[in-house]
Amino acid sequence: MNVDELFRNKLEYSEIAPAEAIRSNLMKKLGRKEFLRFNPSRFNIFYLGGAVATVIIGTILLTSGPVRNVNPENISPLVGKIISDSGSDKAETNLPPAEKVVPEITGREKPAVKRAESKSGEVKARPDLQIKKDVLPSSRQASSKSDSLVKKSIIKDNPGNPDSYSLKQKTSAGFEVSSLSGCSPFKVKFNNRSFAYDSCKWTFGDGGYSTEKNPVWIFDREGEYKVTLKVFGENKTEVTSSSLITVHPRPVARFEIEPENPAIPDDEVQFHNYSENAVRFRWEFGDGKISDIFEPVHKYTQYSKYNVRLIVWSDFGCPDSLLIKNAFSGSGYKIEFPNAFIPNSSGPTGGSYSNKSDEAAQVFHPVATAVTEYQLKIFSKTGILIFESNDLSIGWDGYNKGQLCEPGVYIWKVRGKFKNGEPFVKMGDVTLIKN
Amino acid sequence: MVNDQEIIDGCARHERKAQQMLYDKYSRFLLGICLRYASDKAEAEDILQDSFLKIYFSIKDFSGTGSFAGWLRKVAVNTAITHYHKNLKHRYHIEIEEYVSVETGVSSFEEDLFTSDELHKVLNELPAGYKMVFNLYAVEGYKHKEIAEMLGIDTNTSKSQYSRAKAVLREKLEKLSRLKKRYEDDEKR
Repeated sequence: MNVDELFRNKLEYSEIAPAEAIRSNLMKKLGRKEFLRFNPSRFNIFYLGGAVATVIIGTILLTSGPVRNVNPENISPLVGKIISDSGSDKAETNLPPAEKVVPEITGREKPAVKRAESKSGEVKARPDLQIKKDVLPSSRQASSKSDSLVKKSIIKDNPGNPDSYSLKQKTSAGFEVSSLSGCSPFKVKFNNRSFAYDSCKWTFGDGGYSTEKNPVWIFDREGEYKVTLKVFGENKTEVTSSSLITVHPRPVARFEIEPENPAIPDDEVQFHNYSENAVRFRWEFGDGKISDIFEPVHKYTQYSKYNVRLIVWSDFGCPDSLLIKNAFSGSGYKIEFPNAFIPNSSGPTGGSYSNKSDEAAQVFHPVATAVTEYQLKIFSKTGILIFESNDLSIGWDGYNKGQLCEPGVYIWKVRGKFKNGEPFVKMGDVTLIKN
Repeated sequence: MVNDQEIIDGCARHERKAQQMLYDKYSRFLLGICLRYASDKAEAEDILQDSFLKIYFSIKDFSGTGSFAGWLRKVAVNTAITHYHKNLKHRYHIEIEEYVSVETGVSSFEEDLFTSDELHKVLNELPAGYKMVFNLYAVEGYKHKEIAEMLGIDTNTSKSQYSRAKAVLREKLEKLSRLKKRYEDDEKR
């Protein structure tokens, strides 16, 4: 069989056992990812606990009024998480959905209804609450049940003081973030939604901390950061709440051009891509054309200055870009002059030159490639025009009006165009040496 | 052994047991695929884990048409390609020289002449980009146009890399088979 078939037959269904640790490692990662996503289709203890807690707390509140000050907003961070769309990691805020669920109860005052003292919140013939009552065996039972359920389901927010059930509002911790993941450097705004506390301390997981109520923090490096908010209530109570912030690395856009000095527009230019962590690319060649492949080759149609830009994106969509202005410094075409020459003392030669005359450096002329327009002028030190030529093959033989010029320094100026249209203007000095 | 449909349904509900069963049933198969795209087993296992995470979270997208193993394979190959792009470094200067003799004749190899380990090794001797193209074309069966899109290269680049890769592989395999025959002969003496 041929090479293709050989590889296909042997490798297409080859099986190799992974290392033992991979399986448990994978399950751990899976658990973490699933917890963070809170997919409503996932049925688990937290969801169940939260759902039951909502119902019970709601009932208690409706039946018992201001006594039972289990503020629903204590529950709401968790509830909010469950109800919110699992969707993407971006912009998941913990609270706003919750506010839809229990909007009125927060502000509800029940001044007239003074069955206040009964801890169990017995329901007395309030017709609109009958329905809720049917949900639970009895409010009394419900109260203690809800206590422990509340404890279980708000475990993230209220780890302290499960048993003390005071009449005052309980200290609780919770917060919102502007976004749970982003590209580094990643700026996050934290919104403190805790209750009944005197002071707070934020730890951002990257070594930084703050005691502001609603801090703004910038995470510089990629990674996963556990941000913890600790609030301090009275009687030395401390309650914490945490969240995980993911910072994705930014890719690095990097490229080189080959050849370094291409002749625009004649040469094909190769772009070498040395970007890091990038999976998507966009090249802007500066002439209006673009490419999105990894390493393009491009030919320009006319001579000009071009700014080349490369934009890259990482797996998660973090961008970076690199701009090289005037990427093509020279056209690769050159014109160069010697700095001295020794004219033939036997008389003017008209300025034409050959290999032989060049060996003796007898005629002052440039070395150039691909010149289409050309004008050379020679001036004395005092600025008098001594010689002029529009022909590349005619140089200066060192004579002026039939007379050999004095040895010394003279100024040359040249202007013209290369065959790609690129103009040039140069000047310098040349020393005339006596033969 | 539970059938695939039950596993798929369980995984769609994020049931841990179903997810574990999926792993136990298919991890060897998928690691075989990942190994072809990685340079060593550790890297292949990384790709394997990422593949499974992708599978668990997108299993509801499996419409049920076509084979399940085929869908799993696709996810693994795509994960391998993403991994490959992440690790791209100075790829440009690694070019196979033109002087490699491209035989036009079909050289034939006996199927049992090489072990899959030997084939893996030979494959790994190719530069990364060539290995990707060869795998995708010869083993997975993608067309050059599809490969070009997946890797972000030109269709022509895919074609030329494939033919050069094939030529190099053929030469290496021929050398290897000659070596093996010589050992066999030596042993017979």
